[in-house]
Amino acid sequence: MTDLWPRIEGLLRQAGRSIERPARYLNHEWGCTYKPEASYRFCMTYPDTYELGQANQAVRILCNCVNAVEGMAAERAFLPAADMCDLMRAEGVPAFSLESCAPVAEFDAVGITLPHELAATNVLEFLDLSGVALRSVDRKESDPMVFGGGPCAFNAEPYAPFFDAIMLGEGEESLPELLELHRRMKNEGAARAEMLHAMAKLPGVYVPSLYDVLEENEAQRRGSWVVPRFDDVPSVIEKRLWEGFADSDAYEPMIVPFTEVVHDRLNVEILRGCTRGCRFCQAGMMYRPVRERSADNIVSAVCRGLADTGYDEVSLTSLSSTDHSQIEQILRRLNRALEGKGISISIPSQRLDSFGVDMAELVAGGKRGGLTFAPEAGTQRLRDVINKGVTEDDLFGAIDAAFAAGWRRCKLYFMIGLPTETDDDIKGIASLAQRAYDRAKKAVPENQRGNVRVSISCALFVPKAQTPFQWDGQISPEEAKRRIDLLRRSVKYRAVDVHWHEPDVSLVEAMMSRGGREVADVVETAWRAGARFDAWTELFSLDGWKAACEACGVSMEGIAQATYDTDYIPPWSHLSAGLFVKFLQRERRFAQQEKTTPDCTYDTCSACGVCMGLNTAIQTQEVRHG
Amino acid sequence: MADFRLRVTYAMSGRLVMLSHLEVARALERAVRRANLPYAVSQGFSPHMKQAFGAALPVGVGGTEEIFDVQLTEYVAPDKALDRLRAASAADLMPYKACYITKDVPAASVAYPFSTYRAVLAFDDEGFAESADSSSSADSAPSDFGALAQRVASLRVPESITVVRKKKEKVLVPSDFLVGAMQAQGDALEFTLEAKKTGSLRPDVLLEAMLEGTGLHAVSIMRIRQREKAGE
Repeated sequence: MTDLWPRIEGLLRQAGRSIERPARYLNHEWGCTYKPEASYRFCMTYPDTYELGQANQAVRILCNCVNAVEGMAAERAFLPAADMCDLMRAEGVPAFSLESCAPVAEFDAVGITLPHELAATNVLEFLDLSGVALRSVDRKESDPMVFGGGPCAFNAEPYAPFFDAIMLGEGEESLPELLELHRRMKNEGAARAEMLHAMAKLPGVYVPSLYDVLEENEAQRRGSWVVPRFDDVPSVIEKRLWEGFADSDAYEPMIVPFTEVVHDRLNVEILRGCTRGCRFCQAGMMYRPVRERSADNIVSAVCRGLADTGYDEVSLTSLSSTDHSQIEQILRRLNRALEGKGISISIPSQRLDSFGVDMAELVAGGKRGGLTFAPEAGTQRLRDVINKGVTEDDLFGAIDAAFAAGWRRCKLYFMIGLPTETDDDIKGIASLAQRAYDRAKKAVPENQRGNVRVSISCALFVPKAQTPFQWDGQISPEEAKRRIDLLRRSVKYRAVDVHWHEPDVSLVEAMMSRGGREVADVVETAWRAGARFDAWTELFSLDGWKAACEACGVSMEGIAQATYDTDYIPPWSHLSAGLFVKFLQRERRFAQQEKTTPDCTYDTCSACGVCMGLNTAIQTQEVRHG
Repeated sequence: MADFRLRVTYAMSGRLVMLSHLEVARALERAVRRANLPYAVSQGFSPHMKQAFGAALPVGVGGTEEIFDVQLTEYVAPDKALDRLRAASAADLMPYKACYITKDVPAASVAYPFSTYRAVLAFDDEGFAESADSSSSADSAPSDFGALAQRVASLRVPESITVVRKKKEKVLVPSDFLVGAMQAQGDALEFTLEAKKTGSLRPDVLLEAMLEGTGLHAVSIMRIRQREKAGE
């Protein structure tokens, strides 16, 4: 493979201080795998800069999986920062992988994870910089295959034309399968079209070019927006589940970056899935069933991981780590094992109802930054609607425990624009936060009360595919602004501040989340007009997106804000997370009735369809208690 | 508690010269942990490893004799400590000497105020293939080494250099910081700068000012020596 390093080093030297953070492009980090002799080469990409993508779990896990296959090598690639992209274009230097600094276009296959709804234009920027045709139909026989995956695959339609194949669900087994098929057929001299057809028959693989897209009326009539062009291509693609997760080694070898990146710590995944059943939460719906790794596995993995990497911080990650049936044991054992080494243990956003005095002590571990909790809604009524089974007592109990144990700052996450929300619910947020502040102050010695801070962080609700709220429209930016102003006015305490995500971005997110195939044209038009790095506030432009929508005859508000009956067929109905539609419809009905559904890991089964349909089961280490 | 202060000498080369000082510090801290050395941890609210670093190098400048000190709670034979560190280090950020120092030895960051740098230069239209870590092929050698050496020897140190610090312009006089004359050695330039309490002149800033308009650029800049006193 071509070594682009001399040219890239030259660019960096020549540009001097005008190219920021050259360490993004250096590679040679501790822990990276270099398999120059492997004949099949895969390039795993995160569609944003190194510092945002390096810690990504999918990139880490999938590179390890592919590198474990004999004769296959996986290298990482990230999107260079905007300044470097421009310089590379001007100098004719293509996008490159990190490990061998080879042009992305020279790889056999390129995998791009779709981590959130604002990455689409970056995908195009990356493909363009690589010199690979944007659309699958325009690719040459010599172009690499371009595969996609990750959370946005569950509504893949806005990305569909740009990918040769999209993988649904967990890729630990399905990616090596897909690459193995590609390698074999490529060695046999198969044509691209032939290979794509074979790929479409692999479980969990969606090959968009093998489907015709229907108009809305026809789609509603037929029960699907796409029709396979061949009989042997499935009409519904179901997600893949990795059965081996719970028993596999919790230590996933990782690379230690030189430059500062987000989530720059050892990351040990302690469990997958969450069945609390919050009705807005796509992750909770996508990653079922719940599967826990054992305490022995996790403790051992943390110790080995710290020794291997030299990190001073470890994060026990999952969707809801405090729900792990052995979490207290795990934390106790780790606190003991790591005593006196200046190493801190962190747990991402704790669930309020499993955070008590014990937990507060255990998660302490020395460095006490801020604590975050997510009540999501300000009144019990609305929390019941969204099925976030958390009460005021849970919140206040957690606050009592945390602030008595030494915390001084607490951030509370809420959403604005949830289905059935009223002004009373908005005022409820202010009331809840202020009462939480009062509680916090009481739990703290008098001379430290001045340090107590409670902050409210609000985001606009984005309806997501594969959730019971997928049929609900987003509220308009004007209405969102009105509600946020109401919230601001309702918060009287100076020590409680309100942070608010710009609603502009949420509008585009909603369009990408709920849109059909027509949105792909909008994405390309927006990119051609200069949109990229949409997740970066300083580079996002709503006007650019609006202009692209107009040019393509697509209504952004129409897609984001329309509310449908639950018998409406959404544009992603051919992509399945294993959930029965009846389950989603029933949950939406219950929401309207303010009725809650319990967590099946410790209560009755809610017949969501995953265990039955995918022939799998919940795996907890010990009995969970509500 | 017993206090063993290990001074480690390492080289920073290849593409890792592009790391910032903070990035190097972080990388070295992690190497110490990977080496499983019994490092001391500070007391207090935010416990951290007791490690101290030598004078910072700007981004793009490497060093062959860089130092850091780490405090250990137990005595580990220096060669054993060095072996473990080496096994846990990236090739381009590699320790090669370790010895214990006593309390009276000056702190790493101020121990050696006199730094000698060596910059390898090249003509502007040729240079980029010749980088510090890639093996140069025969046809990337400068077409006329003699001409290059002549151009290097004719370089002059500017009287003053204007830098922008904290949004304010500051005028630095190179002769205040240069110790002795610059030495031209073929395609390389060697010079010694003194770090003063009132501030320093960065080697890359000095070179940039010197090379402007000369048709030359620096292919690599390395700190090759750090000394306590001038002329050592």
